[in-house]
Amino acid sequence: MSAAEAEADWPEGISLAGAEHAIRTRDVGVQYALRFTRKKTIRQSFADVVTRRREERFWALRHVSLEIVHGESLGVIGPNGAGKSTLLQVLAGILHPSEGVVDVRGQISGLLTLGAGFDQELTGRENILLAGAFLGLDSVVVSEILPSIIEFADLGDFIDAPIKVYSSGMRARLGFSIATSVDPDILLLDEVLATGDAIFREKSKARVIELVRAAKAVVLVTHDMNWVTEYCNRAILIEHGRIEIEGEPEEVVELHRQHTAEEKARKLAALRASDHDALVARRRERRARKGRT
Amino acid sequence: MTAVNHTYARVYDASVSPGPIALLREGIDDVRSHIPLIRYLAQAEVKKKGANTLLGNVWWVMDPLLQMAVYVMFIEIIRSRSTPDFPLFVLAAILPWKWFTASVQDSTSSVVTQERLIRQIAFPKIVLPIAWVSSGVVDFAFGLIPLAVIMLFFPDRITAYPVLIPVIAVVQYVFTLALGLVVAAGNVFFRDLGNVVRHALRLWWFLSPGLYSISQFEDTPFFKEHHLLLELALLNPFVTLFNAYRSVIYGSVEAGGTNLPPHMPDWVALGSLFVVSVVLIAVATIVFKRLEPSFAKVL
Repeated sequence: MSAAEAEADWPEGISLAGAEHAIRTRDVGVQYALRFTRKKTIRQSFADVVTRRREERFWALRHVSLEIVHGESLGVIGPNGAGKSTLLQVLAGILHPSEGVVDVRGQISGLLTLGAGFDQELTGRENILLAGAFLGLDSVVVSEILPSIIEFADLGDFIDAPIKVYSSGMRARLGFSIATSVDPDILLLDEVLATGDAIFREKSKARVIELVRAAKAVVLVTHDMNWVTEYCNRAILIEHGRIEIEGEPEEVVELHRQHTAEEKARKLAALRASDHDALVARRRERRARKGRT
Repeated sequence: MTAVNHTYARVYDASVSPGPIALLREGIDDVRSHIPLIRYLAQAEVKKKGANTLLGNVWWVMDPLLQMAVYVMFIEIIRSRSTPDFPLFVLAAILPWKWFTASVQDSTSSVVTQERLIRQIAFPKIVLPIAWVSSGVVDFAFGLIPLAVIMLFFPDRITAYPVLIPVIAVVQYVFTLALGLVVAAGNVFFRDLGNVVRHALRLWWFLSPGLYSISQFEDTPFFKEHHLLLELALLNPFVTLFNAYRSVIYGSVEAGGTNLPPHMPDWVALGSLFVVSVVLIAVATIVFKRLEPSFAKVL
């Protein structure tokens, strides 16, 4: 389907006047079938067929409708396992949604969990070239931006050493540097502001702000609430795979704080209750043992 | 507002599922637009293979020679079945077979070992088995060095026919790639497919006329009785491939034991195998593209 066809096909109503959208999703859902999403051997699968094990499915993400225009910085927050990273993977085109429509305009860059996917045996410099090739960049373009990537990552002589000798901070620095240097229209970042030392954190903040100013769209998953309220102009809270609230960062962060506090209280109460149950069970067991002897 | 490059526009609608022809076209586009990536991955693979071992690339030369020595000892000395110039006879089959097994085994793990990358960057996964199978070509090319050396010991068999080796290799490459695509995708879902592949390959080697000629095969009492099984055995692509390689490198052993010097390969058989391989690769591409969207979920 071409972009023009998609435009004609799109239902009216969620378009923001004036600005061109960078990302638009309609009712997106991602379903995992547990039967196939676990690493399996042929023997296990055979056993499953014989024992007729029921297929389990669950929705990691559902009913997600979003629109992000160029120049926006969207903060995505929520508890662990809520579907934040799944959302980024869908936007990046890594996962295809099981339902709904995703429409992305512009080149996307996002090394989602930074530094993990590099080839351990190759040097930092070779990994930059490799990443460029994976992102579909022309080798001429990559060799042009190579010096700036190396400079920003600030790895010194390590740039010509195999990645396997790098520290995790160095890997993250290289990853961030690559992801933000390829001049993307849309930048997806997952938990990157927490990596690296204080100096690099400052540098990377400055870089993201620069990209937002240059009218690029940024989608950022983070647990750093200050960053969201300070630098994002919109935020969404995702819980259990659904968008709980979308709006002003302050509002969204406040709701997230409330929910987290409630959740904590609930967990604590459950913990106490189960402690009590355990105590009762132990007593009963002791009495039973006494009765036998 | 900066200009947005619309060549990157991407729309994905979950309610539309592409048919086989669309998948095939997508697959071809994926490959065409990622030639530099394939080249880069293949180069990196070649470089790593050489860098990690003590003798480095010397192994590419040594390996087939040692394997040849084992078979020569086993067949010639212990079983004393004599095929004239047996070292050359068997090396003509060992070289392509080594290339084939290495490529199939490498592509089995090609997608699975890149699991982290697949969860981070959207790229056509089809480039992975292609790059790994292509990097095997270098192995094969290096294997031709020991072949040249061994040929010097059999001056009677030196001709110009070995220049046809690349033509036969193209047919083998297409066939290998078709198989490589299927096992690469299959291994994502069944992680022990590698073991199955290893044993299947070993069995395949002994069913192929590597250590013996096809005429010796036809002469066995078993196949004289079971003619249908013989027909089936002759459908093995490696009957055609080994025969072709052997024709141009060694010559052939005809029924009745007459031994011919190097000659033209059987073009009809080779051509048919090429056509079949092209069809197989189209089917394999469709299968791969159909399974590809699930990779990121399963890995």
